[in-house]
Amino acid sequence: MDPEPKKEPLQSSLRVQELIYGLRIHEVMTKQVFTATRISTMRDVQILMKNNGITGVPVVDTRRVVGFVSMNDVMTALEEQRMDDLVTAHMAGEVQTLAEEMPLSFAISAFNKFSFRSFPVVSKKNELVGILTFHNINRALIHELSRQLREMENQHDQVPEPVNLVKVYQMHRYDFENGGKASSEIKKYLKDRGIPPKVVRRVAVAGYELEINLVAHSNGGMLSFDINEKRVKISSHDRGPGIADVEQALTEGFSTASEWIRSQGFGAGMGLPNVKRVSDDFAIQSAVGMGTMVQAVINLAPAAS
Amino acid sequence: MTLIQIADVLDAEVVYGPAGWKQLQIASVFASDLMSDVLMSDRDEMLLVTSLSTEQSIRSASIVGAEAVVIANNKTVTSGMIELAKEQEIALLCTELPKYDSCVQIARILEP
Repeated sequence: MDPEPKKEPLQSSLRVQELIYGLRIHEVMTKQVFTATRISTMRDVQILMKNNGITGVPVVDTRRVVGFVSMNDVMTALEEQRMDDLVTAHMAGEVQTLAEEMPLSFAISAFNKFSFRSFPVVSKKNELVGILTFHNINRALIHELSRQLREMENQHDQVPEPVNLVKVYQMHRYDFENGGKASSEIKKYLKDRGIPPKVVRRVAVAGYELEINLVAHSNGGMLSFDINEKRVKISSHDRGPGIADVEQALTEGFSTASEWIRSQGFGAGMGLPNVKRVSDDFAIQSAVGMGTMVQAVINLAPAAS
Repeated sequence: MTLIQIADVLDAEVVYGPAGWKQLQIASVFASDLMSDVLMSDRDEMLLVTSLSTEQSIRSASIVGAEAVVIANNKTVTSGMIELAKEQEIALLCTELPKYDSCVQIARILEP
């Protein structure tokens, strides 16, 4: 639709932007935080890092963040063989924290601005509530984007497809086995597009009766369905033999059916009257030796019916 | 009534049962061997009881939105009928009872 194909990547990046403005840090952060206190040693911190696979440990005093020990600090202490020192001798004292209510976009700016790999997250009371790493952000974005994609896919499933179809079926004399296939297909087509069951049923009945007429009474012919949003137009054309008295054929109970047709459950002289019954508009033309044409219209739009 | 209740009283063989067939609600029953009559009906949640064992029985049931068919009178069910029942998601049951007796049994479920 859009003449400018370049717009597409912009749209998707807008979606990511929407996300990083919409998500809050506390929705994304790791809530279980490993911490040290003022009386921890650098060795304690090193063991904490090793056992838990983390690269930064906040130092807390009554839940307030008073310092931060990074992997770099531990390596320096190792090098200087000062692992038994208290953390207070090595930690960064002025710690950059993030507030839990901040949008994720703030955190991303912080990661760009400072070279830290993780940030302690604090509550309004300035107490430590979590820790945020880039890993958290990546995971949250992927998770959220997949969720939105799934939603879009589901929405797409629910949107009814436009009702528009022209389909022609060839019908053969005495081919009872295939009589009804066309109507079943059309029935499914309409049902899938959210057409009310009662209307679908009328279309199916009209189509099916005409199919049975074609296989039971004609020398073969075709059945066509012309469907738009307003109506279904079913047309049946056959190659003969034609109906001598159309009035009579439309009379309930009148039938020229053979025993065999009756053994199939049809031929009670109800077919054409039933098509007329379920149609909003019905027309028939026939000439002996030429063939028969039946047209049945069923309205789909409620206002028109 | 549910389809499993009907299957029980008819001692019916369930030739094909789509997912959840046992709890299928049956509000009305139509008994006929004449598919033209079936096609004239306008009932909902319908069960078709018939001794016409042809693919057209399944087809007609499907066209009028019936969700279950009982073939009465100990008739042979063809593979084509089973295929069609699967395709159209219609429960297909088979009983040795004649059509009239089948109807009587089903009617008794509804008696207080």
